Order: sequence, then structure tokens, then C-alpha cells
Amino acid sequence: MAKVALFIPCFVDQLTPEVGLDMVRVLRRLEFELEFPQEQTCCGQPAFNTGYWNDARPVAERFLQIFRSAEQVVCPSGSCTTMVRNFYPELLAGTPWHEEAIKVGKRVFEFSEFLVKVANVKDVGASFPHRVAVHDSCHALRELHLKPESRELLRHVRGLELVEMPYSEDCCGFGGTFATKFGAISAAMGDAKAGYAESCGAEYVTATDPSCLLHIDGILRRRKSTVRTIHLAGILAQTASAAERGARPAARESAR
Amino acid sequence: MATTEPQTENPGRARILERLRTALRESTPRPLGAEGRTIFAPVTDVMARFQQECAANITECIVTPDMQASGRAVTDVLAALPSGEIFVQDSSAMRRLAPEWQATRSIQWSSEGGPKKSAQATITMAEALVALTGSVLVSSSCGGRGASVVAPVHIVVASADQLVPDLDAAFALMRERNTAFQNSYVCLITGSSRTADIEKILVMGAHGPIRLIVVLAMRHD
Amino acid sequence: MSNAAHEFLRSAAEKSADLAHRQIIRRGIDSYNAANERGRSRFLDWEAARLRCQEIKWEAVNNLDRYLLEFEQRVKDRGGHVFWAENSKEARQYIADLATARGVRKVVKSKSMVSEEIHLGPALEKLGIKVVETDLGEYIVQLRNETPYHIVTPAMHLNRTQIAALFKEKLGDVDTDDPQQLVAAARRALRRDFFSAEMGISGANFLVADAGMIALTTNEGNGRLCTSVPRIHVVLSGIEKVIPRLQDLATLWPVLATAGTGQPITCYSTLAGGPRQPNEVDGPEEFHVVLVDNGRSELLANVEEREVLHCIRCGACINACPVFRTVGGHSYGTTYMGPIGSVLTPRLRGLNEFQHLSYASSLCGACTDVCPVKINLHHHLLHNRRDAVNASDRPWSERIGFMLWRWAVEDSRRFRAAGWLVRLGMRVVHRLRLDGTVLDPARPWNKNHAAPLAPAKSFRALWGKHNGNN
Repeated sequence: MAKVALFIPCFVDQLTPEVGLDMVRVLRRLEFELEFPQEQTCCGQPAFNTGYWNDARPVAERFLQIFRSAEQVVCPSGSCTTMVRNFYPELLAGTPWHEEAIKVGKRVFEFSEFLVKVANVKDVGASFPHRVAVHDSCHALRELHLKPESRELLRHVRGLELVEMPYSEDCCGFGGTFATKFGAISAAMGDAKAGYAESCGAEYVTATDPSCLLHIDGILRRRKSTVRTIHLAGILAQTASAAERGARPAARESAR
Repeated sequence: MATTEPQTENPGRARILERLRTALRESTPRPLGAEGRTIFAPVTDVMARFQQECAANITECIVTPDMQASGRAVTDVLAALPSGEIFVQDSSAMRRLAPEWQATRSIQWSSEGGPKKSAQATITMAEALVALTGSVLVSSSCGGRGASVVAPVHIVVASADQLVPDLDAAFALMRERNTAFQNSYVCLITGSSRTADIEKILVMGAHGPIRLIVVLAMRHD
Repeated sequence: MSNAAHEFLRSAAEKSADLAHRQIIRRGIDSYNAANERGRSRFLDWEAARLRCQEIKWEAVNNLDRYLLEFEQRVKDRGGHVFWAENSKEARQYIADLATARGVRKVVKSKSMVSEEIHLGPALEKLGIKVVETDLGEYIVQLRNETPYHIVTPAMHLNRTQIAALFKEKLGDVDTDDPQQLVAAARRALRRDFFSAEMGISGANFLVADAGMIALTTNEGNGRLCTSVPRIHVVLSGIEKVIPRLQDLATLWPVLATAGTGQPITCYSTLAGGPRQPNEVDGPEEFHVVLVDNGRSELLANVEEREVLHCIRCGACINACPVFRTVGGHSYGTTYMGPIGSVLTPRLRGLNEFQHLSYASSLCGACTDVCPVKINLHHHLLHNRRDAVNASDRPWSERIGFMLWRWAVEDSRRFRAAGWLVRLGMRVVHRLRLDGTVLDPARPWNKNHAAPLAPAKSFRALWGKHNGNN
């Protein structure tokens, strides 16, 4: 099997490392050989989304430089994968890196996409006996055209009861700097999402994107909700033996 | 009040055109288009489809064997309406059917002018009937513009041979007949007037007719 | 920050917290979504319909001068007049002069967003001309002295109780909140106006070049009455509304109806060209088409943004937008709201004053997904942002922020150090219980969220240590 290069988003690396670690656990369980290019930092999305394309460009070139020789790259975030695959070509149009962007883009995959569509695996040997609802992160849904993949993976998780959250495709309101620039709107959107999660009786909300979960979690905790959030990798990393050992699921923790 | 004449000069016109031409020196790539793909499933049974769509869009569709029977059907419809003048398109077909209606109603013919706002009903013919959407195509030749909108009830006297399968066919027919050039007004009517502007609740009967009735003769004699 | 931006933030915050408002909008949008889904299923291939419409609009917009000239010639052949207005002022002036010259005292209007854009109503009222909005939703907001909340359903923010109270106050002959009765009351009131107005003003959904006719998509019949009864018919339209051929409507009409309201086609798909002909029974004596530029030719010249002119004003993007659903149509403070408004307004009225609209989006892409003519709306929001930055028009704090960001991410050691510092800061703030307070640098986040806990170690540190083993 070809080596898998890990693309760990900047904020996952620094703020939610458990997402990366869980993805590693799953990939190791499936016997993938992994490498983590240490030079990586950020894909450039924050600058790109805010309109600072001249600043995003060199950062994107640096990313391509780091990953150009990787045969397959896996990322636990739909939005970061989208940045590379769908937006690098536009950002680097008219530059010598344009071709490379298109080539590398074809080899970068979001985690659930990689498991189901590249590795052809649906059952990763996970166990997570809880009621789980999926929030369909916007980039994964509309840019990468992913929706059934995460559900397929979850259906094979032992003990897991999959429930559908109303308006699962509605944006959670994170949107990067949107959350701080337009905090009231972002919070209201997150509030609506939290309400839907509570209404469907889920114990956990999961998604392909840790940024969505950071936002939804912060709102749920604020509402003193009993619903918790956990990244898809966090669920898939859980095994029966781990549960028996009393290991707690790596759900988002935040201050009360 | 000052009687200034409206601008006959229009210097902006040349400037706008100049800007457009300059802008269009650079082109954008042509999109792929829908080449080869079928947008609507072809209509196989125009009569059945027309009736089905009328039911869906709340057009009352009364099927009769021939024009004479249609005349009687119109009489029945009129009998149930409040008393008052009706407006009828002045055509030979309508003149033939009219005597029966004139027994109980005074008729204003389209040749005398547009319908009065007090008309209880208007009776017109149509250019065509479109099966795909259950629509009636009228033009200003069908008794004028007001004929299909002023009165609370609009009755269309048509025949089955006027049915066309879809909008493409309707426009092809219009091209054949030069409808767009012989008329200053054409309207594709689908159901009676309605609005959902209050809480998105559908209310039938806004400013146009509250009832649209198509009396459809199987044979046009 | 511009005044418009301040006002937007204020209104957005107010509406975001208004749960009752959010519920009304949710119900309205749910109703639309159900109808729209049914509508799309009537197509064998909805995607093919979108591609066809995209192609038609591309052809029209990329040959705009040619098709506008063809349209103009055919309108004139029919005895109509065409006036090309460079801006709002010229358009208003033409109509005002016409109305004054013809002794018009009352105007009945069917829906025209361009008339809002050029602020026509107040200009005519100033001349003592009564302007009556006849589209029910527009009529309602006019009675309330409000602007349209949505380009297709202008009164979707109101419930029947509010409308009943409004009608009772303004019309008098209403004592119920039954929608049927309310519509009947509006019909009675407006009927008098249709038959007494000297001028009818309409918009145009399309300008058909090969026929020299305008196409109007309506349901109520008010548009038909406005364009049939008064002796003068004036059409107000943006220059980008022209389409090449009549048969293009075979696809555009059902697509517009489906995207706009979920209907297979609206009740009245009307074609009006010219005044009444000599052999015709009735119709206006005069027909004037006012073509409005108002910044559209500039947009045309911007090749990257040109496809924004393909918009057929269906409102689907507005319905799909979670930001619209949260802040409502009035918060935008502009003629066009939602995604199309956020893309278009900065281009027509200035990036400097209106860029905040392009930033007020989470870039979820739902708008692009639903656009029936396949405009890449959220990409255009990104372009607006990029152009605002390149015009050096952004707050200095943001510019400095991204300079720091770039410094940090261009070197992995600097990145590690920066990350470590951020986590340290988070722990300090948390330990001192300063989360969300004015001393918390992460206050914009923490005032709306329970603060996240900073992990002790980063992924790379843990990878390095255990090589990722459990």
C-alpha cells in the first residue's frame, strides 16, 4: 500500500490535536504507512477567504512544495481539502505553480473520502455505542460532494445508532473569520444548529470538519446542553477494547 | 403644471453602447450548455396531460363532444354566475354560439371595445392549449388584452386540435403564425390568479380572474 | 467602517437575536423548499435546464449591444419608445417628464426591483403623482412605509395578524385575519386604482430581442392590469435583461417559476410589445421602455464578474442563504438582498461602502448550488473580498493580523512557537477566569462560545514523541 502523508490543519495541530491522533489511529489500524511532513503549517485558507490572496499565494506554494512528492495526502478537514483541491488552481492561476496545484489537488483527500472512495473501506473495526447525528459541513458537502461517505462509515460502527438531524445541511455559522467579524449572526446560526441537534435526540454530533465542531461545541456548552461533539475520526478511532479499558472518547472538551 | 415634453434626445444611449462595445472586446468562455440532454420528458398523451395539469393548477376543464355542446356548457356556467353583462370575443365561432347566451345575458362584443370592469365574465377563444403545463395561450386577437384578466370569470372556448405538447411547440406555432408580430400582447395563462404573499399561504383569486374555465370540444366543427 | 456597514451590523445583531422573526422566516423558507423540490422533480433533467439557461444568458450578455439594438428596433417598429438611462437620475427624469407632460396623476405599479434601485416612487410623489404598488406584497410594505423584504415575496416577514391590522387601519373594510378575505380586500381597493390610473409601470423579467416584446412573470394579474388598462405603459428594466429569442422562454419561464416559487410556470407569463395596434380592441396608447445602466456596463467590462449579469432575479439564492434566514431582508439596507445583493451591491454602488456585505457570509456555497443560471455566487463574494483588500480598503488591524499570520506560517519553527504562545495565552486567560471579558484577546470568539480548552501539546509534538502511537 502506498504511503499516506498526513495533512494536519493548522488549528488541529495546535488546538485540537486529538483529531489528528484519532485519524492516525484509524489509518494505522488499517495498516497504512504514515508520514508527517514536519514543515507543514497552514494551507492558506484564512488569508484566501478574507481576500488576502497575495499573502495566501506564497503559503500555498509552500504547501505544494512540501506535499508535491506525496502519493496520497489525507486530511481530517473538508474545508482544508477544498482549499487545496478546489481553490489552489484559481489562487495560483497564471503562476508557474498552477499545474502543480491541479496535480497535487487530485491526490489530497478528506479523511472519510479517502477511506470510502480510495481505500474502499467502510468498516474500520470501530465501536461507539451511542446515538450520533451528522452535521454536513459545507465544504465537504458542496465542494467535495461528500455526504453518504461519513454515514456509510458510521453505519459500520458497532453499537452506533445513526439519527438524522433536521437541517443537517444548513451551515453551522463558523465560516472562518466570519465567526468573529459577524459574531452575532454566526452565534445565531450555531444556536439554530445546536437546537436541531438537541431536538433529534442525539448524544453526539459529528462532522468531517473540526472547525464546525469547535463552533457547535462552544455553543452547546454555552447552552449547557447534554449533546457533545466529536470528530468523525474520534468515533472511528474508538474500538471495543478501548471502550472496555475505560478510555474516554476524545470528545471536544471546553470550559464550562 | 409645467408641460415639459419627455426627452426626445438621448445622449446616454451612445455612451452606453460605447461602453458595452468596449467591454465586449474581451470575451468569456462559452459555457458547456445542455447539448443533447432532454430537459422535460416528452408528453405522449396531450389530452390526458392537459387535463391532469389543469386539475393541478386549478383550471376548470369541461370536455364536450363538439362546439354546440360547448355552447351549452357555457350557458350552464353562466347560469350559476351573478347577473350582469358578459364580454365576448367577436369571432364567427362565438357569434354562432352567442344566441343561446343572449337569452339570459347582455353581451358586450370585443369589437365595441375592452370589457367593462363590471363584467361578470369574459368568453374568449385561444391561440393554443399547452399540455405540459395545462396552459391557455391567448393574444390580443382573442378579444383584446382585458378579455382574459378584467372579469372575475374567464371562460375559454377551445377544441382538442388546439392542443400542443409543450412550450417549444407553442413557440413554434407562434413562429408559424407570426403571432408575436401580429399582436402587441400575448399571454400564457396557467390557472386563475393567485398569491402566496401572506404567510406563503396560497390564496386563489387575486387581481385577475378568480375562475378560469376551459370548455374543450373534442371536435372542432 | 462605512455607515452602511455600521447599520448592517446593528440590524443584523438585533435580528439574529429575534427568535420570533427567525421562526417566521424558517416557516416561509420551509414552504418554499417543499414547493421548489416538487418543482424541480417535474423536470426530467433539472441540471440540463440550468445549463441551458446559463448558455442563453451567456449568449445574451456577451452580445449585449447587438441584442439590445435588435430589441430597440423592433419596439420602435411597433410604435414604442426606448430610452437608455445611464443612471438612476436619468431614468427618474424621463419617467417624471413623461408623467408630467401627459397629465398623469396616478400610477399603478407592478413589481420592479429596478424602480426600487432608482428610487422612482419618491421622485413621482414629489410631483404630486400618487404611486400605487399593486403586487400584494409590495402593496403591503408600501402601506407600512417599508422597503421590500425579499425580491420575490416582499412581505414574508409579516404574519396575517399584522397584515389584518394594517388593512383595518388603512383600508377600513377589513375585520378578519383570514388570508382569503385580506386578498379580497386588496383586490377591491386596487381595482379602483387600476381603472383610474393614467400610467402603468412594470418591470420586465426578460426583454425579448427578436420579438421586441417584454416578458413578465406574474401570478396575481396585477401586472396584466397595469399593462393593459392605463393609457401609458412604461417598462423599467436593467440592460442585462435582454434575451435573444422568444423560444428561449420555453426553458427560462419554467426555470424562473420553479426557482422563484416552485411552480411549473406562473399564472401569467405575458409578452407585451408596443402600444395597442390599430386593429386591436384595447391596450395602452403609448409604450415606453426605459433601459437602465446604473453601473451594469462597468460590471460587463469586468470579465471575471460578467456572469453576475446573468441573474434572472429568481430569489432562490436568497432563500438558500443561512445568513439571510438569520438577519432578514431589511438588514442589508439595499435594494437587492441575500447572496446576489452581497455580490452585486458592492459592484454597482462601490466596494468601499458595501464590501461588508461580501464579508457577511460563511461561504457555505448554498447559493451557488441553487442558482438556476449557475452563477458561481460564493466565488464572486471571494472576488469582492480580494478586490477590497487589493484596494487597501481593509481595517489596519486586519492587515497587520495577516502580516503576522504570514510570518508565523512561512516557517514551521515560528509556527510552533506562535502556536505554543497562543495556547499559553489561552491557559492564562482561562486560569484568571478572564474568558470572554475585555481582557481576553479571544473575546470575539469567547463572548459567544464557552471557551475551548487549550491542549497541553500540539499534534506535531505528540507525533514526534510517540510517533502517533496510542
